[in-house]
Amino acid sequence: MQHEAFANTEDFGGPDIAATPPRPSRPGQDAPYLNYALGKAYDEMFAPDGTPRAPYAALDSRISTLPLEELNRRQQACEQSFLHQGITFTVYSDNQATERIIPTDLLPRIVTAAEWDRIERGLTQRILALNLFLRDIYSDGRVLKDGVVPRAMIYGSKHYRREMRGLPVPHGAYVNICGSDLIRNEKGEFVVLEDNLRVPSGVSYMLANRDVARRAFPGVFRSMNVRPIEQYPLELLATLRSLAPFHDDVSIAILTPGVFNSAYFEHAFLARQMGVELVEGRDLLVNDNVVYTRTTSGLKRIDVIYRRIDDDFIDPLIFREDSSLGVPGLFNAYRAGNVMIANALGTGVADDKAVYAYVPRLIRYYLSEEPLIENVETFLCREEKSLHHVLANLDKLVVKAVGESGGYGMLVGPHASQAEREEFGQKIKSDPDNYIAQPTIQLSTAPTFVGNGVESRHVDLRPFILHGSETKIVPGALTRVALKRGSLVVNSSQGGGSKDTWVLGQ
Amino acid sequence: MLSRVADSLYWMSRYIERAEHTSRVMAVKLESMIEQTPEDATASWSRVIEALTGELTLDATQDAFLTTRKLAFDRENGAALITSLSMARDNARQVREALSNEVWENLNRLYLRLAPVTMDSIWVHTPARLFREALEDMHALEGVTYSTLSHGEGWYFLELGKHIERAQLLGRLLDVHFRGPRDGSQNTPKYFDWLVLLKFCTAFEPYTKLYTASIRPQKIAEFLLFDPEFPHSIRFSVDRVTDALARVAPGAPPARRAAVERLAGRLKASVDFGQIDELMSGGIAGFLADITRQCEKIHETLYASFITYGAETVL
Repeated sequence: MQHEAFANTEDFGGPDIAATPPRPSRPGQDAPYLNYALGKAYDEMFAPDGTPRAPYAALDSRISTLPLEELNRRQQACEQSFLHQGITFTVYSDNQATERIIPTDLLPRIVTAAEWDRIERGLTQRILALNLFLRDIYSDGRVLKDGVVPRAMIYGSKHYRREMRGLPVPHGAYVNICGSDLIRNEKGEFVVLEDNLRVPSGVSYMLANRDVARRAFPGVFRSMNVRPIEQYPLELLATLRSLAPFHDDVSIAILTPGVFNSAYFEHAFLARQMGVELVEGRDLLVNDNVVYTRTTSGLKRIDVIYRRIDDDFIDPLIFREDSSLGVPGLFNAYRAGNVMIANALGTGVADDKAVYAYVPRLIRYYLSEEPLIENVETFLCREEKSLHHVLANLDKLVVKAVGESGGYGMLVGPHASQAEREEFGQKIKSDPDNYIAQPTIQLSTAPTFVGNGVESRHVDLRPFILHGSETKIVPGALTRVALKRGSLVVNSSQGGGSKDTWVLGQ
Repeated sequence: MLSRVADSLYWMSRYIERAEHTSRVMAVKLESMIEQTPEDATASWSRVIEALTGELTLDATQDAFLTTRKLAFDRENGAALITSLSMARDNARQVREALSNEVWENLNRLYLRLAPVTMDSIWVHTPARLFREALEDMHALEGVTYSTLSHGEGWYFLELGKHIERAQLLGRLLDVHFRGPRDGSQNTPKYFDWLVLLKFCTAFEPYTKLYTASIRPQKIAEFLLFDPEFPHSIRFSVDRVTDALARVAPGAPPARRAAVERLAGRLKASVDFGQIDELMSGGIAGFLADITRQCEKIHETLYASFITYGAETVL
């Protein structure tokens, strides 16, 4: 059966080289950029004077010569491809379950070789420091004794796992898979917004986006020396293998919460790409501190588990006893050294909002280096000087409670009323340790196809870092897009989509 | 192979087989309907309803529109085509990593194509066409499965699901045709109904090659029960089940393997040495019921031996 538009070897478009290079487009003046807004934010494609930046010239000359219908057709081909692959999530309304694809935008975001070089070195430095930090706080606590990080902040964190104290992990690598969210500020500098050290997801979308963007613009892709990312599953496999050096025939499994988890597609995708088992908690059992999976032929031992389940749910005997996703006895098998778990338990303590603010100091403390990628400027209200600054500038800052996530316990100063700011100010004064503040930042914008043209939308950048016996960062990332005009929220649960990221070679 | 994965592959395959069977029966039924008197058509519908749903819950005197909707698109009906496809897809989704992309995408595409179909949209044209097209897609899916999946243990669980289901579906179809009507009416199958029965099983041409075009119920029964080469005969399915059982769970303890193989051997003996003339005189219904019971027993033992066994028994 032939479905020519979807066969993997086929391109979505025809020959993809513009006949004659047109003059560079200008946003707001030339189709398809008639509604392309250049604001205060750094724009990935256009310089402030409205000329396309050099890395985007080939893409510009392609999309400005394609009829709108053709762009629409290619966008639909991308979406069809996602739908058929099952890259969807389910929306429930009126007792009807509707499957929606994770929105994908066909226009790639481009990162130059020089930009990537800095990101790669900066993130390598960061993951090293974070792993040294985790090893430290789960052993001697030198960083706490030296007063670099307040003791109460760590031992009081709900993500600190006492059970992990004194437990060695292979290569001292607690965080094996990390997805850090970077943003580009108004000056065009990449800064880290957040480290995801628990169970970061999105890497399958990075690969799926590459697949469709390459087929949407095959000619531009070929002409641009885009670095490959398809080796990611192989690198992940090597990272997981490096955790279990004890014998050759290492048996690896991905532990998924199951088919109803929103990242299930990714779990199955990675299992297939790596050729490892995909297991649910009910497939595993622990006997005499050894983990087995139930197979048709009997029980089979498992050596390494790449878990996609939060700490809390992983073992009902140690953590949340109401968890049906986990495996009773798993933690004891882990303590006994009979199974390796990636990421290690207790890594969440290092990615909360308060510790985040200390990461530059941690880099200096452990590596005696200056951070290559900065944090977003962050004021710790627990520090006297910062507290005064925050209280005096509530109208300009975003204030966040450190223990919360998902927008709870948060004040967006510029959008709040005077009364709300005063009320929040009181909260901060009564419990300064619990609050941090950051200036409101304009995420950079990138060209995004919106159906009747190409407009600018805010984006972030999530590269994926692997860290086992060595550190590897595949030259690519998930670029998340706030699809609503003007919105700064890139989360897929709130109208965000994603697009391919082309990291260029030298 | 993970027991849970084997479980999902097995059920995915059973549901695909059920969907394929339903599509074929519906296509043939809708195509042949116009050549029958209203009374014969009603009798024929009641056989179809019972064969597809296992019980006479639907009123066969309802018009064809409502019956078709119930059997094809009513998600409340556990035996409907769309329900079977949806279940097949749910099972496939749970074992995405054990399937090839091609298998998943073919199945997913088929489901996504049929899910939004409404009766009104197919009834204005030729309703049978939709079922014919679905059938073609399912044949493509079968081919893609054959050619893109390794013929290892997983594939043999697919075979088990397909042929255990097929043997039972065929058994029910034969049963409603050979044991007179349950409602006490005198409406027994006529020449045309026997022809349709062959077509329900895609067996018309293979049958005529063996027995010529003379349509005789006893020969039809013999062909659909005992022919060793025709893929929609019970014997063919039983052979596949026996073969597949020898290939799954290679490392399982011998006692467990023996339990399943013993049952399969007994079933095989029943169809290998069955005599059609004895059956026709002694009552075919009893024989078919026995085949169905044996299939169910194999299913239960298969699960107990390889899938739901207690971990304490192997530690």
